Amino acid sequence: MLNFTLRRLFAVIPTILVLIVFSFYLMRLAPGGPFTSERPLPPAVMANVLERYGMDEPLHVQLWSYIKNIVLYFDFGPSFSQKDRTVNDVIAQGFPVTLTYGFWSAIFVLVCGVPLGIIAALRHNGFWDYTMTGLAIFSQIFPNFVLAPLMVLLFTLSWGLLPGGGWNGGQWQYIVMPAIALGTSYMAGVARLTRGSMLEVLNSPFIRTARAKGLPERTIIIRHALKPALLPTLTYMGPVFVYMITGSVFIDVFFSTGGIGQDFIDGAYSRDYSILLGLAILYSLLTFALTLMLDLLYAWIDPKVRSSMG
Amino acid sequence: MKRRSLLVAALMSTTLPLVALAANVPPGTTLAEDQTFTYRVLDEFSSFDPQVVEDVNGSEVVRDLFEGLYNQDSEGNIVPGVALSHTVSDDNMTYTFTLRQDAMWSDGQPVTAGDFVYAWQRAVDPELASPYAWYMELMSIENGAEIIAGEKPITDLGVSAIDDHTLVVQLSQPLPYFDKMVSHATTFPAPKWAIDEHGSEWTRPGNLVSNGAFVLSEHVPKERSVRERNEMYWDNANTILDRVVTLVIGDDAQGLTRWRAGEVDKTDIPAGQYPALKQEFPEEAYALPRLCNYYFTFNLENGPEAFQDVRVRQALAMAVDRDVIVNAVLQGGQFPAYTFTPGATADFEVPAVDIANMTQADRDAKAKELLAEAGYGEGGEPLSFTYLYNTNEAHQQVAIVASQMWKQKLGIEVELENQEWKVFLENRGAQNFEMARGAWCGDYNEASTFLDLLTTPSGYNDGKFSNARVDELMAAAKSSQDTQPLYTEIEQILSDEMPVIPVYHYSTNMMLDASIQGWPVDNVEQTWYSKDLYKVATE
Repeated sequence: MLNFTLRRLFAVIPTILVLIVFSFYLMRLAPGGPFTSERPLPPAVMANVLERYGMDEPLHVQLWSYIKNIVLYFDFGPSFSQKDRTVNDVIAQGFPVTLTYGFWSAIFVLVCGVPLGIIAALRHNGFWDYTMTGLAIFSQIFPNFVLAPLMVLLFTLSWGLLPGGGWNGGQWQYIVMPAIALGTSYMAGVARLTRGSMLEVLNSPFIRTARAKGLPERTIIIRHALKPALLPTLTYMGPVFVYMITGSVFIDVFFSTGGIGQDFIDGAYSRDYSILLGLAILYSLLTFALTLMLDLLYAWIDPKVRSSMG
Repeated sequence: MKRRSLLVAALMSTTLPLVALAANVPPGTTLAEDQTFTYRVLDEFSSFDPQVVEDVNGSEVVRDLFEGLYNQDSEGNIVPGVALSHTVSDDNMTYTFTLRQDAMWSDGQPVTAGDFVYAWQRAVDPELASPYAWYMELMSIENGAEIIAGEKPITDLGVSAIDDHTLVVQLSQPLPYFDKMVSHATTFPAPKWAIDEHGSEWTRPGNLVSNGAFVLSEHVPKERSVRERNEMYWDNANTILDRVVTLVIGDDAQGLTRWRAGEVDKTDIPAGQYPALKQEFPEEAYALPRLCNYYFTFNLENGPEAFQDVRVRQALAMAVDRDVIVNAVLQGGQFPAYTFTPGATADFEVPAVDIANMTQADRDAKAKELLAEAGYGEGGEPLSFTYLYNTNEAHQQVAIVASQMWKQKLGIEVELENQEWKVFLENRGAQNFEMARGAWCGDYNEASTFLDLLTTPSGYNDGKFSNARVDELMAAAKSSQDTQPLYTEIEQILSDEMPVIPVYHYSTNMMLDASIQGWPVDNVEQTWYSKDLYKVATE
């Protein structure tokens, strides 16, 4: 398993390099640049600005110094749009915000979704099953851009219970709505997945054997059925979790959390190359880390996977 | 013999301008206990560094944190800031500013003429590479352009400190509105010692030393920033607000929701919602004139051949019913435009151009006539072109309505094309369009900020209009004491030649909580200072 982990870790480096090169050139293909504005800068001013940011060099030289700065100094460059700050500053400030509500959102998804799915499976075709399934479908058809304004309308405008946005250092009142709005449709997905796989597991021979041996139902569910039933949910949650802690562009913009989703949008519009590239690297590293963690988690849950890792 | 400026004369005769410097609270007003003003901004600020900041919202914060030579009053007139007055030499090329003795930085150091010299040199320093270096060039400070181009050292800039309280500025050409330009953020002083100590992090709370009415106490980029009363400010006794909070809210509708929830005192009105909000909140919904124009520009360099015919340009301009666009489409208190320069511009009287004085029915008839004469439209050669605008709901509505007017009245087929902002700017700047949307906001409150745009050498003249007489008149206006006749003639030429079709002049639409008083509603540049505001108690 150690071998497997190391192999995977080494594969990260070339992949990230390819990603940097590819994104770097792709961004430059878009018309306009960070200093294109309604009021075109006079040539002399433009020349100074480009020189300051090293953008007067040929592209491959810029790319090389970009990679060099990351490797040697872990410096992802200055932001072009927020002139007092570097990409490191921007990510250091925004990522914890997104991570925090993304984390709570994932907890919400699991804590609500998994039990809902299990209860529905155990009461298959009963009242609870229909209620849960109905609820799940209902929340899945509500995209967050419908749910979020609806929640603000109720919790902020009508009842005055929660602030309509902001972050304020991450007080819980400011996390509730972003976390729920972000997680609801995933929660529904998790509930349905768990229900389906639980039903399948409950009908499999080893559960029948366990029942035949006279094990109590509670032990059967928790000790034997739950782990295999959660596998599809885990597979589902991996990429979803990455999405939750990084790409929640709508949530960041709508709730004005100050998270990095906002930077991604602004970066694209303002052609803030260094921010965009920094975020792309962050996203891919996170995807790597989480898929690796997930693979290891599989191995822990499923002996079959463990043996195939060598 | 030096000529005293009007400002000095005003100061000598009365102390009124000094009164207008701080919040002007009528007697009998009950102030709110909590003097916190919270407002919404759309985006994170570009910077809090006066010489670097380039966005409108950032400049608002910088105006609170720093104070330049002059401020603006509620009508946009200049009033003393750090400078009390100035004198101008006979050739109008040398300005001598007298600075107040009691101006202090937030760390207790006195504000000196040297701080201005340092800041102005900084603004043109190729090493700092401020995008706003162009503003210093526009101010015509001696050697400014050469320093930016790297041809001279920054110490050659035409600004010097005779002593701690006397600043002398040498211009390369006379500029009648030079004194108006020193209320702009780029010209604010900078604390050298703090910048030397903290480098690029000098604008962080705790590091930032400022000389304005407020100091920066908190800044969470993309979320909030807080500025608090600067106890060292020379006029602190007359500042009423204790705290000013900005919240970054990237969505107009959400900004309005949070205004309704009482979380912000001021927010922009989402497009098209002004009439409904005005009805719901008559005291709190504002539509104020703003120093910006909106126009359609013909590509006269490589656009359709038909655009070379002035009759075609005239016909297209006449067929646009501005009243419909302003009153039925935009509905935000905009002003129909027949001249390039907005009527709200200071010292500018809108000339009586013909097109403005006709009824729309007359204009439509004239448009048909002109187009027929030119040999296009119904019965003539069919005319079609593409109109390019940047992706935005309001621009789209204007484009659709205008194209329908041209189609119905003149039988012209217009294809609409929208592009993302920077793509649009690239294409328009490279004359890669036939007709395009244009808009311009004044850098200072004087007609030349608009009319310069249509001179031959202007870098912003995307339609490539060129008229020797306009160039000549604009050059004369730079040093003239009586510019109105020159501007009248230019607007007349523009109206005859119609290189661009003025459509409307902007308004600022905002919701402002009734408890916030002192807003400079008559300042067309919307230059406001938190020190002039106050919050009244509401029951």
